[in-house]
Formats: sequence, C-alpha cells, structure tokens
Amino acid sequence: MTSFAVALDLLREAAARRWFLALGLALTGLLLLLLTSLRLEVVDGALAASRLFGQPLWHDIQAADVALRPVYRVASQIVFWGGLAFGVLSCADFAPALLSPGRIEHLLSLPVRRWELLVGTFLGVLVLAAGGAVYASTGLVVVLGSKTGVWTGWPVVSAVLAAIAFGGVYAGMLAVTVWVRSAALSAAAGASLVVVGLLATHRRTLLDLMGAGIGRTVFAALTAVVPPLGRMADAAGALASSAPLAPGGLLRLILGTLAFAAALLAVAVWRFERRDF
Amino acid sequence: MPAAFAVTSLQKRFRTGFGRTESVALDGVDLEVPRGEAFGLIGPNGAGKTTFIKCLLAIAHPDAGTVELLGGRPEDPRSRARVGYLPERLALPGAWTPRGFLGSVARLKGLAWDRAATDALLARVGLADAGERKIRGFSKGMRQRLGLAAALVGEPDLLVLDEPTDGVDPLGRVEIRQLLTGELERGATLFINSHLLSETERICTRIGILSRGRLVRSGPLEVLTAVQQRWRVRFAAWPPPAAESLEALGFELSEPGLWEIAAPDEVALNRALDGARAAGALLLALERASRDLEDVLTEALAAGAA
Repeated sequence: MTSFAVALDLLREAAARRWFLALGLALTGLLLLLLTSLRLEVVDGALAASRLFGQPLWHDIQAADVALRPVYRVASQIVFWGGLAFGVLSCADFAPALLSPGRIEHLLSLPVRRWELLVGTFLGVLVLAAGGAVYASTGLVVVLGSKTGVWTGWPVVSAVLAAIAFGGVYAGMLAVTVWVRSAALSAAAGASLVVVGLLATHRRTLLDLMGAGIGRTVFAALTAVVPPLGRMADAAGALASSAPLAPGGLLRLILGTLAFAAALLAVAVWRFERRDF
Repeated sequence: MPAAFAVTSLQKRFRTGFGRTESVALDGVDLEVPRGEAFGLIGPNGAGKTTFIKCLLAIAHPDAGTVELLGGRPEDPRSRARVGYLPERLALPGAWTPRGFLGSVARLKGLAWDRAATDALLARVGLADAGERKIRGFSKGMRQRLGLAAALVGEPDLLVLDEPTDGVDPLGRVEIRQLLTGELERGATLFINSHLLSETERICTRIGILSRGRLVRSGPLEVLTAVQQRWRVRFAAWPPPAAESLEALGFELSEPGLWEIAAPDEVALNRALDGARAAGALLLALERASRDLEDVLTEALAAGAA
C-alpha cells in the first residue's frame, strides 16, 4: 500500500516537470492535428480516398482495416522506440532525486520500508511510461476509428508491451542509481541496456561472426539475460497491425522481460537495504 | 519513566576511498532519554551528532551496539510512525505546495489527513498564508518551518530535530521555541541536535556532549552547568558595602554589585554572609554560581582531548 503512495508522489512530481508537460502537449497537439487535417473517405468498408493537409495519401482502394495496418505498425514502432528513448532521458533523475541528501533521510525516517520506496518508484515510472504509451496509441485509435469506423484495441495492447519493455530497462537504471546516485549514469545505463537489447535480438548471427575469446563470452552472457528489445518491438508492431503472432513466443518474451526486471529490482533492493545515508 | 530511546555501546565506522580509509563516527555511545524530556545533543562539527541520529532512526546501520526506539526496533515502521524528524538540510520538492508536501508525509505515515489538519499545522509554524505557494520560492527560514511542520504531522511521541532553528530569524526562533514548549506540554519527547548553545540551553532540560564519537558528558542541564561550592551574592548599592571588608571575608567582585564566594558548606557560607552584613552590606540575592553551556562544552572538549 505504501508503495502506491510513493508511486503516486512520483506521478505528482512528474506532472510538475516540463518534460512530461511538453510530451503531453506534443502528443495531444499531434492527435488534434491528425483529427483536423486527415480526411478519410470510407465507402462500404473500403478506404476510397485519403488526404492529409489536402494532399492524397493512398491511391489504391482497399479495405479500411487492411489500409490501417501499416499505419498502426509504424505508430507502434514510434511509440516503442520513441517511448524507450524519451523514458530513458526523462526518467533518469527520478531515483537520484529520491536518494538526494536531505530527502532520503526524511523518507527513511517515515514508517516506510526501504523496499517499498524502491518498488514504489519503479511502479510510478512504469505507470508513467504505460500512461504515455497508452494515451498516444488510444488517441490514434480514436482518431482513425472515428474517421474509418474501424475500431481495434491491438495498438493499445502493443503500447502496453512497449511499457513492459521499458520496465526492464528502468529496473537496470534503478539498480545502477542505488550504487551510484547519478542521473547521467542512470541514463547511460538505460541507453546501454537498449543497445544491448537490440544486439540481443540478433544474438545468434552476431555470435557466429565473433571469434572465440573473452569479448564473445561477455557478449554471449549479456545478451543471454537482457531482453531482446528488437524482437519485442517486432511483436508490438505485429500486435498493433493485427498480424499473426506465435502466442507462446510473445508470452516467453513478456515473462523473460518481467523476470529480468524483477531480478534487477531484487539486486537494487538488496543493495538499498544495506546502504547508509 | 520509560525511555523514549536507549542506545547501548553504539559504534559506527565509515570507510571511504579506494584505500577504504576508516573513520570512527561513533565509538561506544550509551545514552537513554526518558519520555517527556527535552534532550539536547551538542558538540563540535564532526563529533558524530548527525550520525547518532541516523543510527537512531535506522537511516544508517550501526556496526555494533543496540538501539531501542519507543520500545521497539528502529527498523520497525511502527516505531518510526511515532517519530517526527527534521533533517539538518531537508530537501523539499520545489514544484510542490506545502499542502501537497504535508499531505504526502501524512499518506506515507498512514494517517487519515484532511485540509483542515494541514492548514492548522501550517498556521502553527507560521505558514498559514503560504499553503498554496510553490516551495521553490520559499526562503531558508520558510523551508525550515515547513520541515518542522512535516516533523509534527501525526503528533509524534518523539521529535528528533537536527538544527531546528537553522536559517530562522530571531523572532521565528522565539516562535519555534514556543511551539516546541507546546509539544513538551503535550507529552512529546524532544531530541535536539544544535550548534546554537543558547537555543539548546533555553529548550532542553538534559544535555549530552558528543566529542569524537564519544559521549563525554550527559545529565540534567542544572547539574552540568552548576559550579560546586561557589555562590553568587548581590548586595544593595546603598549603603555601599565596604569592599575591603568583603574581600577580607573571601568575596570576589565579579561585576558591579555582584560578588562571588567559595564556601565548602552552608555553615561557611552563612558565616561569610553574617560577616558581610556586620560590615554594613545589605543582602539582596543569593544563588548558586553556574556556567553557561559554552563553558561546559569547552571544558568537556578540553578534558576529552587530554
């Protein structure tokens, strides 16, 4: 329960930050722009004509739901990778701020367990990431759905997948911060995890290209535990565009990412419980 | 009377740098503070005062020794729920309002909190008109008052205040002193760490002196500041007492009209007073001579260094 109070405080702090206000305004502005400048003419379920700022977009007549699939796929990639990049940069100093001298002493003097503080911070950031991703994708679904009559919930599910992927990255950022209180280092850890996650997607190919040695062993070890973010992004794109997806593979990806996040969070809590402030 | 807290053989060492240089912050401190008392911990910078508070509240982990906080362990949230703490340099969320901040503290303390309670608390610390202002625009004194309000949330049984009047103007210090006196009357225990000896002297009834991680003096204020076998005597200005006669009896002039005398017991004291009256001096006041806290601290530190 206390973790939720900590998460709520983090969300209130985020609401007061210009980064998040700017993101909210930018997303809303973009959606309003689409709403007012995109014209889609649907006849008998087929997209007959489409114009953005008066310029024609598609010339082929095709079923509206089929026409929207690539749009949702691209949008999901923007939400996934854009969300990861924005999240790494904008959330890097939440934990360092929590651990700042004069604040952490006060928080630890309250009837809050140390693990509740960390878990609350993690939950708050996760809700923030999920909120942003779901807001953007829901807005797009509403704009396109209202113009075409094609309604789908999959882009929103895909946004939740992006938030789960960010959860894995943020757990790493949090663990690093518990050792060294630095927003820059936290952001660097997040960026490194995104890069390693991308490389993990092509693990087999890259390992085949590498000669035997310590570098290969380290790479193999790292990419064995870091979630393959590229594969998650592909899965998010496939979900958003209602493309077929092996359900077992997706479940493995989600469980693997959750386990990775939980393990890093456990390490962070272990260290945090022993630290003096 | 049960103890608000009791520490036994408390030790804390810090290891810093790659060479893991070790410095001793607390070196076997024993201290028990009864409930309802106002205890002041004084000492020079680096004596270990803040580390002591951190170990008391489980913000830092002692290397050895035991800590009992309000009958429980400091790691137990139920014990800390009854404590109000004002850190030395409290970092406040600048984008929040005082109402938002106090609401957050109340939530984390698990209290049912409302706006009326917040406003009453803000009024107590002199921030009644600042409830909706952003904290980032606050002066140091206002921040200190807000920190104090946060410590008072939920009427804690023990108030641990690290430099509570730091940055507060003289008038504000009087207000804070009155507020703390009110807390004492409510039954709360005060534990104050301050370098302002006069403030400590005015609020606290018991004092501890920490030097190089060791508690070198501890006890009631009047006992620590009392000078054994020495008395302060005031004689009427008219008729003027014969200075030579008084000096012959053992009196020493400390300031105009005020004399001091060393007397091993009450009989010797009364004999000297009778002699002074016989010499024409009119007795106005008599009190045991005492030192101020600064003298006590200086002497304790000198003894500790020896």
